[in-house]
Amino acid sequence: MSDAVLPAAAPSAVPAGGVAPRPAAGPWQTAARKLRQDRPAMVALLVLVLIVVACALAPAYARYASREDPFASNVDGSITLDGQSVPVLQAETAGLGLGLTPIGPTWHGQYFLGADSQGRDVMERLLYGGRTSLLIATVATVICLVLAGVVGLVAGFAGGVVDAVLSRLLDVLWAFPIYLLAISLSIVLINTTIQIGPISITSGSLALPMLIIGLVYVPYVARPVRGQVLALNRTDFVLAARALGVPPWRILVRDIFPNVTTTLIVFVPLMMALNMLTESALSFLSIGVQPPNASWGTIIEDGQSLIYTRPLVAIAPGLCIVATVLALNVLGDGVRDALDPRAKLRVS
Amino acid sequence: MLLAVVRRLVQMAFVMLGISILVFLIFFATPGADPAARIAGRNASPEVLAAVRHDFGFDRPVPIQYVLMMKRLFVTRDLTSFVNRGERVIPAIVESMPATLSLVFGAAVVWVVFGLLIGVLAAATRGRWPDRLLMILGLIGVSMPVFWLGEVANLITQDRYHDTPFFSWVPALGYTPLTQDPFLWFKGLVIPWITLAILYIGIYGRVLRASLIEAYQEDYIRTARAKGLSETRIMLRHALRTSLITFVSLFGLDFGALVGGGALLTEVVFDIHGVGKLTVEALQNLDLPFIMATVMYASFFVVAANAVVDIVYAALDPRVRAAAT
Amino acid sequence: MTLKRILTAGICLAGLLPLVAQAAPDRAALMQKHKGGTLKLTGSAAAGTIDPMINYELKFWQLYAFTYDGLVTFKKVAGKDSNTVVADLAEAMPTISDGGKTYVFKLRTGVKFSNGQEVTGKDVVASFQRLFKVSNPNAGSWFNGIIGADKCLKDAASCTLNGGVVADDAAHTVTVHLTDPDSEFLYKLSTPFGTILPADTVGKDLGTSPAPTTGPYMFASYDPNKALIMKRNPYFKEFSVDAQPAGYPDEIDFSFGLQDEAEVTAVLNGQYDWMFDEKPLDRLSELGSKYAKQVHVHPLLAYYYMPLNVNLAPFNNLKARQAVAYGVDRNAIVKLFGGQNLGAPLCQQLPVGMPGYEPYCPFTKNPGSGKWTAPDLAKAKELVKESGTAGQKVTVISSDKVVERSIGEYLASLLRTIGYDAQAKAISSNIQFTYIQNTNNKVQASLTDWYQDYPAPSDFLYVLFGCESFHPGADDSINIAGWCDKKVDADMKQALATAVTDPEAAAGQWAQVDKEITDAVPAVALFQPKYVDLIGKRVGNYVWSDQIHMLFSQAWVK
Repeated sequence: MSDAVLPAAAPSAVPAGGVAPRPAAGPWQTAARKLRQDRPAMVALLVLVLIVVACALAPAYARYASREDPFASNVDGSITLDGQSVPVLQAETAGLGLGLTPIGPTWHGQYFLGADSQGRDVMERLLYGGRTSLLIATVATVICLVLAGVVGLVAGFAGGVVDAVLSRLLDVLWAFPIYLLAISLSIVLINTTIQIGPISITSGSLALPMLIIGLVYVPYVARPVRGQVLALNRTDFVLAARALGVPPWRILVRDIFPNVTTTLIVFVPLMMALNMLTESALSFLSIGVQPPNASWGTIIEDGQSLIYTRPLVAIAPGLCIVATVLALNVLGDGVRDALDPRAKLRVS
Repeated sequence: MLLAVVRRLVQMAFVMLGISILVFLIFFATPGADPAARIAGRNASPEVLAAVRHDFGFDRPVPIQYVLMMKRLFVTRDLTSFVNRGERVIPAIVESMPATLSLVFGAAVVWVVFGLLIGVLAAATRGRWPDRLLMILGLIGVSMPVFWLGEVANLITQDRYHDTPFFSWVPALGYTPLTQDPFLWFKGLVIPWITLAILYIGIYGRVLRASLIEAYQEDYIRTARAKGLSETRIMLRHALRTSLITFVSLFGLDFGALVGGGALLTEVVFDIHGVGKLTVEALQNLDLPFIMATVMYASFFVVAANAVVDIVYAALDPRVRAAAT
Repeated sequence: MTLKRILTAGICLAGLLPLVAQAAPDRAALMQKHKGGTLKLTGSAAAGTIDPMINYELKFWQLYAFTYDGLVTFKKVAGKDSNTVVADLAEAMPTISDGGKTYVFKLRTGVKFSNGQEVTGKDVVASFQRLFKVSNPNAGSWFNGIIGADKCLKDAASCTLNGGVVADDAAHTVTVHLTDPDSEFLYKLSTPFGTILPADTVGKDLGTSPAPTTGPYMFASYDPNKALIMKRNPYFKEFSVDAQPAGYPDEIDFSFGLQDEAEVTAVLNGQYDWMFDEKPLDRLSELGSKYAKQVHVHPLLAYYYMPLNVNLAPFNNLKARQAVAYGVDRNAIVKLFGGQNLGAPLCQQLPVGMPGYEPYCPFTKNPGSGKWTAPDLAKAKELVKESGTAGQKVTVISSDKVVERSIGEYLASLLRTIGYDAQAKAISSNIQFTYIQNTNNKVQASLTDWYQDYPAPSDFLYVLFGCESFHPGADDSINIAGWCDKKVDADMKQALATAVTDPEAAAGQWAQVDKEITDAVPAVALFQPKYVDLIGKRVGNYVWSDQIHMLFSQAWVK
């Protein structure tokens, strides 16, 4: 991170301004060691790694286990089960013969968790959907933290009018109805493409939910960052640096920024969890991920129309979200505890 | 102090103005959002379409339309929907407020009570198994998407186990006004209250626990212990007081957002006709008058809650006052 | 309608008189036994304005059937007869003269509005004028044949229809003069757009304030967020069993707000008697088997189709369009809609049951029987190659409702299979219909449906594929494909003219037009849907009219 951090002026990782740790092993090494010793956090990390690996292996699952296209309708398809040919969508024959029911969980390679209303393999879609959900959560987190870091730093450090304007902009962003923006953008983008640097956003592009979700939580992170910078502004070493005539940008880079980075690092797993939940909510309302892409949120939405006959289609992706977000939260706790030197003083 | 409050109120007004302009621009920039053809009816001839355009003022420049809509929303207060023509927007929102308030107040009671309980218990037994168990449960609550939890709750209480004594008391989905049938009002809200509260119990329990533990490090707690006060007394009368600042400020922000229609997913899943459901319907219908009104309503509460919390913080904490705008 | 037809109808009616006299005591006994109670209906949302001259939603058209009356209406019975026009506020069917340009209606006397006022010729004239004053959606397409209509379309506020609609108070008649004969004029008057309202009804959209009614029920209150309440019209006396029979329930409540799943549960639990919305797919099996006694399935004069923009690549190429028509698996789409008992594959632009329908299906494996059997993917792929459009990007736009979205995704994957780089996009159902009409949005292919206004082939073919229905750059260009063939247009106008004197010959001409349009493939016909009607256990006397659907006034709850 920052090589310019001297042990004597080592930063505290607590927002309210804290106690400088003793110059033992470097702060990052101490933190890493503490994290390794935190058993729940390590279990959570393991779970996360397992989920990421499973989702990364989605194409392999598609090729060897389910052998279906996860994004194409398979209304007329049929599979062989116990030597018999079973249609994927079974028409009701009793009474007036209305409706079709997708095949239920087979607990075999094909249609392990059953099919959805278009005859697609749910388990396979869960894996592909997980890739999308994780990818969106990660990128949105990066966007959010970068922007929030910059805004918080500038607002807190500059103060005065700049701070007032930025804070009110954050208010506008926080109170703004993202659902309207998402609906509107999804329609505008059908025929046009937005260019942001090297990234071109078309309708159905994953960049759209990434951007929207990333933007929405900027105020959530920027405010604590701003608060921390405000507090740091009044600490002895910053006041001393100012008195000594050190140029402001240098104070920003060498003294304030490193402290802020630990706050941001603490936010990483938390924001990933929040972003994942937000993405699932947007996709549930059909304004997040668009077909043919799938995410856990869109699969819950698919499962809504099957909730009475095949509830597993809606329940399974929800459980995946819970597991991932829970692991992220536990890991987040561990990271925060590890980076917080006060923990050394805590009675454990 | 007064100057700061007034300045803050002026800024609030600017924020809401900004939001309203953005909403208006986004609406008209969306292709297909122009309501003239939808209002005119399917297969309307060009003359009919032009007549409808003129009637509703869609042929006037966008800034004029904005000013007229704002005037009808705030001054004359007779703004009507584009979709259900003749339906006045403001009475519709006012009529849906009791449902949202019932949902949010009830959930708030549940989450404050349980949040306090969990936070205090966890801090009191920190490090031991009750603490870990409560924290894990809280984390699970925080990790569930609220709409999914609602769907699962519906599946269990309305369908699968509806006929068992556990859930046969659960009425059909929907909201019954308190004045119409208090008992049914209550029965219909129990499951939504719990669903909405679960998320917040987790958050508030953890926040309270963290601030209690932090408070325990403070000198004045050590002094109190040295003086011989009992742990319970220390917890409840000293540590809790300072910890509640964070708890209350967070509560102000969340409650404000929810009252403004933030519980829209819960309202949609449980069919409660509150402000949140109106917001979602307005967005899906692309009904600009309703969108504008619900957005203004929601942003007012969010921005106001923000301002109130900031002002209260400034009043309580002299350090923050010095740095505040 | 021709003079010959009127006479035939009159003779039939006269012949039925003895039967009617016999049936009357049964009706009185039934009324005695089942009168009363409140019929409870539910729907997910209100349907806009309560103004019968503006509202174009089926949800409210079902209610207007037994609240408002026009000069003529559709017979309120079950079966094929429900497509027949009978006299309503007119004493008898009108005398038509002058080659079909003049209609003379003799008004009934003694019919009162729900505010006590008697219906007079003045009200009829004012109602016709009002159509233009409130900008009725079809003022310019259905009623522009009335003399004076052109002036009204230009300046609605001062609409007089001088010379077009004339009332003679002494003779109790109203005469309508058209510029050209219109074989469908009586059909148009039978829809709620032909409603007669009091002359003093305000000439603007009524919004949520209902106007006085002439039928057995009146609108007591309308809150789009809660409910629409209908109560008995105190001034109603049954004047025609065929046109407007007396109603059994004392009150009809239409509540808004429940979602479709909750509606099904509520009806099955007996909390409501009927639900408007489409039944969710996962309840169909249960409904069709366990609750079959409460479910009625009816074919509709409607179809789902996929307009292809003939002015944009790749579908400006006939072979490309034919490829899609050959490749579509209509069976799979029907499955996505709910199964073979809920939809029938359709290859042509007229649905089964429409006059002028003759089975015609060239786009199938082994064509020749007129019925669709299976898609011909090989031929489709071959046609795409021949057209030279393979590999081009195509976007299919559907609405975001569950069924439409899944059909849209299927269509995109089909396009991919036959050789295009295709994607499906779902737009909010509230704006999708106007979005796909506007050529500015450059929509290549979309999914939509069309339901009849009245049982005439022109309501499908001329409206959807006539040159006059194409308005580039506007939101109301119902000829979504943008297809205009002068010869076919002339054939359609010819058929419309023939129908004035010889309906059978006209039907044959329409069948020919249907084939021509189907061959040109401006749109790929997909399937003809059926309607699933679910009623509560306590509801008796379910009557289904092809035009009005369930007749609520005839259902009883006691």
